[in-house]
Amino acid sequence: MNPIRWLGWVIPAEEREFILGDLVETYGEKTGRLGWELLRVGTALRLRTDPPLTSHVSPLTKRSNIVGTLLSDARFAFRQLARSPGFSLLAVLTLALGIGATTAIYSVVSPVLFRPLPYPGAERIVTLWERGQDDSENNTGYATFLDVERMSTSFESLAAMSSWQPTLQGSGDPERLSGQRVTQGFFSVLGVRPALGRDFRAEENVRGKHFVAMLSHGLWQRRFGSDPSILGRPVTFNGIAYTVVGVLPQTFESLLSPGAQIWAPLAYEPALPWACRTCRHLRAIGRLKEGVTPGSAGRELDLISRRLVAEHPTDYSTTGMHVVPLQDRLTRDVRPALLAVLGAVALVLLIACANVSALLLGRAIQREGEFAIRGALGAGKGRVMQQLLTESVLLSLLGGAAGIALAYWGVKGLSALAPANLPRLSAIGIDGGVLLFTAAISVASGIAFGLVPAFATARPDLFSALRPGGRATGLRSRRLARATLVTGEIALALMLLFGAGLLMRSLHRLLAVNPGFDPAGLLTMEVQTTGPRYQEDEPVRRFFEQAREAVSLLPGVEQAGWTSMLPLGGNFDRYGVRIEGVVLANPANAPSADRYAVTPGYLEAMRIPLQRGRTLTAADGTSAPKVVLINQTFAALAWPNSDPIGARVQLGGPDRPWWTVVGIVGDVRHTGLDETQAPQVYLPEAQWFSADNAMVLTARTHGDPALLAGAIRAAIRAVDPSLPILQVATMEEVVSATAQQRRFAFILFQVFAVVASLLAAAGIYGVLAGSVTERTRELGIRAALGASRGGIVALVVRQGLALTLTGLAAGALGSLLLSRFLQRLLFGVGSTDPATFGVVVAVLLAVALTACWAPAWRATRVSPLEAIRGE
Amino acid sequence: MPLNLGEFEQLVLLALLRLGKEGYGVTVREELLNEGGREVSLGTVYKTLLRLESKGLVAAQIGDPTPARGGRRKKHYSVTARGRTALTRSLAALRGLSRGLNPVWGAP
Repeated sequence: MNPIRWLGWVIPAEEREFILGDLVETYGEKTGRLGWELLRVGTALRLRTDPPLTSHVSPLTKRSNIVGTLLSDARFAFRQLARSPGFSLLAVLTLALGIGATTAIYSVVSPVLFRPLPYPGAERIVTLWERGQDDSENNTGYATFLDVERMSTSFESLAAMSSWQPTLQGSGDPERLSGQRVTQGFFSVLGVRPALGRDFRAEENVRGKHFVAMLSHGLWQRRFGSDPSILGRPVTFNGIAYTVVGVLPQTFESLLSPGAQIWAPLAYEPALPWACRTCRHLRAIGRLKEGVTPGSAGRELDLISRRLVAEHPTDYSTTGMHVVPLQDRLTRDVRPALLAVLGAVALVLLIACANVSALLLGRAIQREGEFAIRGALGAGKGRVMQQLLTESVLLSLLGGAAGIALAYWGVKGLSALAPANLPRLSAIGIDGGVLLFTAAISVASGIAFGLVPAFATARPDLFSALRPGGRATGLRSRRLARATLVTGEIALALMLLFGAGLLMRSLHRLLAVNPGFDPAGLLTMEVQTTGPRYQEDEPVRRFFEQAREAVSLLPGVEQAGWTSMLPLGGNFDRYGVRIEGVVLANPANAPSADRYAVTPGYLEAMRIPLQRGRTLTAADGTSAPKVVLINQTFAALAWPNSDPIGARVQLGGPDRPWWTVVGIVGDVRHTGLDETQAPQVYLPEAQWFSADNAMVLTARTHGDPALLAGAIRAAIRAVDPSLPILQVATMEEVVSATAQQRRFAFILFQVFAVVASLLAAAGIYGVLAGSVTERTRELGIRAALGASRGGIVALVVRQGLALTLTGLAAGALGSLLLSRFLQRLLFGVGSTDPATFGVVVAVLLAVALTACWAPAWRATRVSPLEAIRGE
Repeated sequence: MPLNLGEFEQLVLLALLRLGKEGYGVTVREELLNEGGREVSLGTVYKTLLRLESKGLVAAQIGDPTPARGGRRKKHYSVTARGRTALTRSLAALRGLSRGLNPVWGAP
């Protein structure tokens, strides 16, 4: 930090160079001392030279030119603050806390919710979804996408995409990348042009001609040394050579697929089996034409959908499509948590303001005489108010400056704490917009907390205030104002505590949900077979079997098995299931189930309980009869009155083979602990028509699973060292990651609630301490007349309790209001949960009583003699 | 019109005379402290120097930039003839008025 850069302006420009030179010569550059002297010299030079007595008084009493008055008010305010450094420090720190927290939260929330996405014309980018039976937003099939693209007129361009995780081979270690396969309109929908090379061409979105790739700037830098001659060169993915045609700009943020580094054409053709209407695995986006709203585009797509349903009635379960602006869709999941946190921090700021307001009021009582003298010299109410407001705005600006420093650290912590699904994490930081926001809330809060004391003190009763030993009659209203402020603080603190309590209980309830397996002691990791050795199914299956054996033999490993999908792992693989003997009017309405292709050892390692029938074994091999297990939800849904064992089902379509149900296992939470349970099927991996080339290992270990990660990795590498091993995590980590968003909100609420309670306690303390000081004489007389210590303590505590109880009553109403906004974050607990409320009230009551204790104790020490002599 | 000097102005002028060519903000403040036993803030010194300059009692010369000053130039002050006259008058008045009074400031 260079004081000259920040503070140099305080020296008048014409003398700046010489004076700064002198100061640097004396104190050295970039020293704190230099900054301090700079401020002193600047203040001395800018102060009016030798003001005569009259001019010193007049700016404080009369309204003259506005700028001059403001400057002189500010100067005066500075001196006032410097005169009582303890008060100033307390007020500035309180404000810094409130403003800093608000700034930090705003800087996290604003790029996600308020600022446009980093694409040109981002407001015209929308996502397209088929409407599900429950009005849900579903992915689309390629045939439907082509029809929409052909028939619609609302869009400049449309694109479909699917995710793609190719393994990059060649120079260096093999690396699995995250990427997307996209139709050729993709980058024009986003409005992004490659920094190097060109966009995909239409003819490259054709099967056989699609071996071209677009690299992210990061990948180009990291793996190809930013070599511009990469264009036109072949790069090997999954053993196939792709030609690099372009590199995206460094500023490109992949929001549709966070972390994506590589793009290639989708290259579907309508005849392909996975391009059918019911093959709903593509996401679609579009850029609206200028002037077209998402609503009108949605109405057009509804019409198109109606025609498609009429032509292909068995391919759709319902008509209609959703058009959702990209920003809404991206932020939908995190919005409740972010808004709740933003609301919470606003409450903290309010409490901080109320606190400073109360502090100022207390001080105004002490400054009684000063205001009276000003009044006597002819200062109007407005003039004194202006002076007081200047003081509070100055305080809040100082608080804001300190708050920015606080926010700077806060943002770092928040980025680490933020849920992984928070979009635009990289854009979070303190920038010009955030600073502007901070300046705005600083001034606004300065005025907000300055108004109460300004109104309450502006016109004291001159006569009694000036009388020696006299007391102003305005005191009563000021005490009332102060008490009201503290009551408000308690109410706000209660709201925050209640929110934190509800979130804490939700989190506990959520993590107490039985996921259907036993996460303790489980280690998971993903391995992908890739390269020329694994073109056929047989070597893929042999590798996974050998790796399983190698891992099972490790000391410390109890059971190990592979699955095509890990519960709570973030992916899903859902198939429509047809049940033999059940005829549906519309096959599109068939139930869909999560499909797990598993090897022996998986169910045992996960400890998914077998409820009836038999489990899958090594005997259920490629040539054995095809068998599946179903979960209890599926059994209850599809066979409510009969025995599913022995029944046959088809997965994926009418031309697929029949599978015989041989057992029923327990339900497993797949997408989240708070989701409703879906049907699930488990089949032997060996019996699926093609081998899954990426599988997740689950290994049950004795003791801490993380300790075995190295040994398990080594065992897999011993089978084939060339394959990438990814996402090594304990199952407990995987489960806990699903509660991230609630945890994020909870931790922040917790911090805010603690801060709020402390501020409220400080407020109560301040009021009582002030009142004990004011009532010294009264207390002394009471003591002299024989009041017991207990009686005096009760007197003070009763006053504190009255404030607290009023605050709690107001806070109870506020809590009802606030918790409604938390509804979407709550789980297993009502938004008016009385138990939580009771605990929270008790906590706050205890805090308040603690704050009463010190002033009460002091009141008992008042000596009658001194109290009366003091007058 | 003869100019009357304030006390602090007298001190600053005297310090400048003592410093010769080395008179600028920092050295004036040191001189006041070391030789005059007065501790004043730099801001007061600058304010007085600027006021004396505007009254034509001192003149400023701009020096060369030096690395120790972060490449900034220095403003030297020297007492003008007008300044010397004013100071002489002022000191003469002091001397005249204090003549004959004994050291404890009572009447002889």
